[in-house]
Amino acid sequence: MNAGPYSDEKVQKFIEEEFIPLKSQCFFDKRTELMKKFDIKWTPTFLIHDSEGKEHYRFVGFVPFDDFLAHLTFGKGMIFFNHYRYAEAIDRFNAVIEQHPNAGVTPQAIYYLGVAGYLKTHDAKELRRVYDTLTSKYPQSEWARRSQPYSQIALEEPALSAAK
Amino acid sequence: MGEIKWERDFSEALAKAKKTGKPIYHDFWFDG
Repeated sequence: MNAGPYSDEKVQKFIEEEFIPLKSQCFFDKRTELMKKFDIKWTPTFLIHDSEGKEHYRFVGFVPFDDFLAHLTFGKGMIFFNHYRYAEAIDRFNAVIEQHPNAGVTPQAIYYLGVAGYLKTHDAKELRRVYDTLTSKYPQSEWARRSQPYSQIALEEPALSAAK
Repeated sequence: MGEIKWERDFSEALAKAKKTGKPIYHDFWFDG
């Protein structure tokens, strides 16, 4: 039975098209080998593995469907990021930001968008833009605080300012 | 409304992932 977020057709379609879906039942009185292997302490726990089985992202607990899609998209982005495929990671992080602006994981997607952009281009202004975006749109998020060191990176002076 | 076709065995899911290149979405659940 597909309950919770799985009852949403967009979630169903996304999972079917983008992933190999796998369910593993947990027993806390007799932990399964998979629970031990992936250190599962609470349910539901959701893991995103790459096609070789390596875990790249996890989230724990009930998640409403919009947040759920955001987590799945972000998780795919993290697979690309961890495999140094920054252009594809950037596409996924942008999808989270544009399609799920209110999701809990979105500030993290903005942070990693900047990091992936920096690693792809070696332009430190990508990191400064992370700080500017997070402090303006998500000032209460932990990711805004994590981006604070990037506030010291200078952006180019705008033309009007230079003309003064 | 459709249903998600779940794999129940990690090894089989991994074999499919390797064959298709798709990542695995893995739901650990508890039927309390």
